[in-house]
Order: sequence, then structure tokens, then C-alpha cells
Amino acid sequence: MRPLTLTRLLLRCGMLAAILFVVVVIALKLGAVQVSLYGLGKDLIDVLLRRTNALSSDYGLIVLDIRLPRILLGIVVGASLSVAGASFQALLRNPLADPYVLGVSSGAALGAIVALIIEGRLNLSPEIAGLITPFGAFIGAAITIAVVYFLGLRDGEVDSTTLLLGGIITVSFLSAIIMFLMTTLTGSNLRGMAFWLMGDLSTPQPRSLLYFLCIGFLVAAGAIYTTASDLNLLLAGEKEAMHLGVDVQRVRIVVYIAASILTGLAVSVSGAIGYVGLLVPHVMRLIFGSDHRMLIPASALGGAIAIVIADTLARTVTAPTDLPVGAMTAAAGAPLFLYLLRRRIA
Amino acid sequence: MMHDVIDEFGRTVRLPLVPARIVSLAPSLTETIYALGAQDRLVGDTDYCDYPPEAKKKAKVGGVMNPNLEEIAALHPDLVLVTKEGNRPDTVRALDTLGIPAYATDARTVDEVLSNTQKLAEILGVPEAGSSLTADLRGRLEALHGKLQDVPPTRVFFVVWTEPLQSVGKDTFVADALRKADAASIIDVKQDWPLISLEEVARLQPEYLVFAASHFDIGARDFDALAERPGWRILDAVRNRRFAVVSDAVIRPTPRIVSAIEDLARQLHPSAFPELPAPEKPAPSPVKPSTGPAPNPAHISQSVLPSTQEIACAR
Repeated sequence: MRPLTLTRLLLRCGMLAAILFVVVVIALKLGAVQVSLYGLGKDLIDVLLRRTNALSSDYGLIVLDIRLPRILLGIVVGASLSVAGASFQALLRNPLADPYVLGVSSGAALGAIVALIIEGRLNLSPEIAGLITPFGAFIGAAITIAVVYFLGLRDGEVDSTTLLLGGIITVSFLSAIIMFLMTTLTGSNLRGMAFWLMGDLSTPQPRSLLYFLCIGFLVAAGAIYTTASDLNLLLAGEKEAMHLGVDVQRVRIVVYIAASILTGLAVSVSGAIGYVGLLVPHVMRLIFGSDHRMLIPASALGGAIAIVIADTLARTVTAPTDLPVGAMTAAAGAPLFLYLLRRRIA
Repeated sequence: MMHDVIDEFGRTVRLPLVPARIVSLAPSLTETIYALGAQDRLVGDTDYCDYPPEAKKKAKVGGVMNPNLEEIAALHPDLVLVTKEGNRPDTVRALDTLGIPAYATDARTVDEVLSNTQKLAEILGVPEAGSSLTADLRGRLEALHGKLQDVPPTRVFFVVWTEPLQSVGKDTFVADALRKADAASIIDVKQDWPLISLEEVARLQPEYLVFAASHFDIGARDFDALAERPGWRILDAVRNRRFAVVSDAVIRPTPRIVSAIEDLARQLHPSAFPELPAPEKPAPSPVKPSTGPAPNPAHISQSVLPSTQEIACAR
């Protein structure tokens, strides 16, 4: 294998970014309502040249206020989940690890349900009520992250196997509580929750939340990227990495916390979108190899591409009825995953 | 001209005095719009808006739970109607974000169904249609009450689904509709759509099982099939074939619910209606929905239709 040079890294990322751009443009064009990109482009140029003041209302409302924010949200969520997946797979040295394996999404779901129940009791203004579910989800995710972290400690050190087992037990325990609480929810709250659990991008989020997500992603993914070389060495085994001078404890903590934050942020706005965090890193590894300096940015871009495609399908396949994007990623992801698995074995 | 109204979410919404382009996100609201004669201004509704049949021809914006925001926006509505019960709060928030005025209704009793109809009539700018419709419906409910006041209520179990077995809680408009038909639901819980064990139903032994036509596709033959299922024969009502099927209007908070109430009352208390032996059916036996082509009532404000016809339509 040729060594990874900065030029090659940038070239490959540029290629993925170009694919993402094309996918986004196509996603902007497709939807329940037909819009002409030519018309939109012409309108945009007119606005930029100050020939007119505003886009014609259909383009403005549908493309810029509904479609674009949804696509942007998908990009951040997809990138977060994939980077988290790649990190957990390296951290736990387990190819089946995904962002949800350590209970983050279950914790987030529980937090969201509790928030919904509390919201029903309080009389909140709609703007605040809209933020309470993501907020509750994030708190739930954060608490779970902390609990699972302490479950994973052995003799004061994080142990990968113990962490994994602690996570799995936490998931089943939290799922039981979620099922119990779900029976107490009624009507629209229950149905909203069912949508949320499947993973859904259809609700426009406030712009401030979107900025917050972007910043959170850049910080957490950046933190993970600083450990990329160490993660490569960790693949050889923890002892080996330690002998090669890797501060394994520090890497574990940084990666664990940053990846959990990425998952918590994504889950809190979109629910549990399955398979992206598991599948995209594997696909990227097959294409680009397992050097994490390449794998992490590639996973970010690949995850964004995957979610934008899946969500575009979710928006269009049964239009005008929206499908939850989680159903789409699972439907496409499971067979693809099996195919890749068989091919690699063969 | 605009005015501010407060909806059932407690939101203050600025609406035109006479909305010209209405999108309905619930079958019950679509029905009510037709009942008020405002259907010409209804520019879009959901995949599930099936009554009256013309409502199926309106532009569709997707499901009740997952309407497509783009389709809604493309219709340029000046009023989107939602229900607190059926639609997601997220949908309302999304519409708020997009600056599309949304008004939410919520009915937990039959009286609220009627007062909401009146309120909706005012919002649609047709208050007179609302008052004449609701006055008529109130009159019918009072007449029914007069007939039934000396009749002891029948203890019933309302079946929403059989698998899992689901009924209605006491705070729903369905339970209230049962009460208006002089039927008492044996299920006395606060949850709106509780799951109930067959054992519990057997313990309480209702006199009648009540089914809504659309949710439970039941005729006499289907009822026999149900009786064959394990455990069901434990119910006296099943052994004695005591069951009633009412139009799906009973589970829709619309003006048509009054007809469903009258129909149910007739099935449960035939002796209270000596002067009106229901046509085409021997009084106490369950309604067998006709299989012929459904008559096509022009719209619901002529809802003084014979109940059997309505069942046929609902199916």
C-alpha cells in the first residue's frame, strides 16, 4: 500500500466532497414538489445581482426553507454518526460496534420521552417546547455516557470488553424502561415518539440548533482526528500500542467522550438512524484502507453522502408521504452490509 | 382582514377572517369542512381523508402523522387545520417555522365536538352554517336523551383493535359518545387508548361488544370467526352473540358522530325506539353492512341519513 501523503488525503477528500456536492444538488432538485434548478439558479443570480429582491415564493419556501435545512441537518447527522461509528469500531476493536452499541441512543430516547412527559405537564411556549425534546435527549445521552463509562472501568482503567458489555446491558435495561414509559404516552405524543425512535429528519430544526450541531461536530470530530495515528497503532493491540508509546488511557477517554458527544448530538435531533454508523466506516475502509487519518474524514463525508441519499429516497419514494429516514437506511443498509461481508470473505 | 384566535394548543394564531385556501391534516377536520359547506376552499387533505368520497379527490399532502411540508407549502394555504390528538406537535412547529398559519382543535367529549364544529365554522367564516348544523345536532342528542333517560345503561366493551386488544379510556370523546348512546364502557381508565387483557374483559363481563366498522371489518360471519379464537368464548357477550357495529364516525370527532350515537342507541336499546323500527334490519340483531354499491350522499350537512347507509359509506 502506498503511504498516505497530505496530497493524496486532500485529493481523496476533495473527491468525496465533490460527490457530496453533486448529491446535494440532486437532492435539492428532487422532492414531492417539482422545482426547476435552472429556474432556482436564475432566481438566485437575479437576487445576487439585485435585479429582484426575493426568490419567487415557491423556490424560497420549498427549496430554501424546507429542503435545504433538511439536507444540511442530514449532512451533520450522517457525518457525526459515521465518525462516531469509525471511532467506536477502533476503540472497541470490534467491527460490529456502532454509535448505538454503548447505549447512547437508548439514553437519548429515554431522555426524549421523559422530556415529552414533562412537556405535557408544563405549559410551555411552542418555541421552547420544540427544543425540549432535543435537550432531553442530549441530557439522557450524556448521563448514559457517564454511567457506561464507569461500568467500563476495571481497576481504574477503561477496559474495552467491559465497556462493550456494560453498554449492551445498559441498552437492554433502558429499552425496558422506554417500553414501560411508551405505554403511558398517548395520542400524538406516542406516535411522535415512534417516529423519533425510527430516526426522522422531516422536522425543520431551529437555525440556532443547526449551528450548535455544526460546532459540536467540528470540535468532537477534530478531537478524534488528533488521535488518528494512535488509533492506527491501537488496531495492533492495546499492549503493542502502549509499547509503541501511545497513551492508551488518554486515547480511550478522548475517543469515547468525543464519539459519544457526536452520537448524542445526532440522536437528539434526528432520533436513532440505524446502519449509517455501522456501514459507512466499513465501506470507507474497503475503499481507502484502515488508516484513521484517512478513514475519519472519509467516514464523515461518506456518512453525509449516505444520509442525504437515504433521506432523498425517504422523501420521494412514497411522495407525498414521508418515510422515516431510519427505515430507509435500514432497508438499504442491511443487504449492502451482507453483500460487503460475503464479498470480503470470498 | 386578519384576526387573532387561540387554538387548543393554547397558541395565538393570526388568521384571515375568511380563509380562502385551507389544508386539512385530519379526516375528521376534512369531514367537518364538508359538513359546513366550505369544501370549495379546501385545497388539500391527507391520504386518509375518505369521507365524504369527494374528499378523496382533493390534492393529497401525505399522511396524518407524516404530511409532506413541501406539498403543503406548494398549495399556499392561508390556514392549515390540525388536531391535537392525531397530528404530531412537530408538524405544527414546522408550520410555525415556515410562517404557515396552523390552527389545532381537540375534542374530548361529544359536546366539545359540537362546540369545536361551531368554532371551526367561525374560523372558516361561515358562523351561520355552524350554528344551524350544531343546533340540529344538539336537538337530535336531546331527543335521544329524552327517549333513553329511563332506560338503564348497557355495559359495553368498545373494541378498537382485537390484536392487541385495545379499548378507549374514559376521557375520550368515544367513551362520551357511548355514554350518550346510554352505554357505559366497562373500561374506566385515564389512558386514552389502553391495551386491555382478555381476562380483564372476562372479569367485567360486558353485556355487549361494540365495534367500529372501519377498524374492525366485522359482519356476522367475522364475529363467528372471532368467537372461534382462543379465549373469546369466555365472554358472555360472545356466547350470546351480543355485539353492535357502528359506523367509523364513532371514532371520528365530526358532526357525523351524532348519527353513530343514534345508531348505537337503537342497536343497544331497541325497546326505546318502538315508533321507529329501523328499516332493513330486525331491531336487536347486529347491523350487517350492505354489500351493494354505497349510496353517495352529496355531503355531510345532509347527515340525517339513515344509519345503515352511513355504515355502507364508511366502509
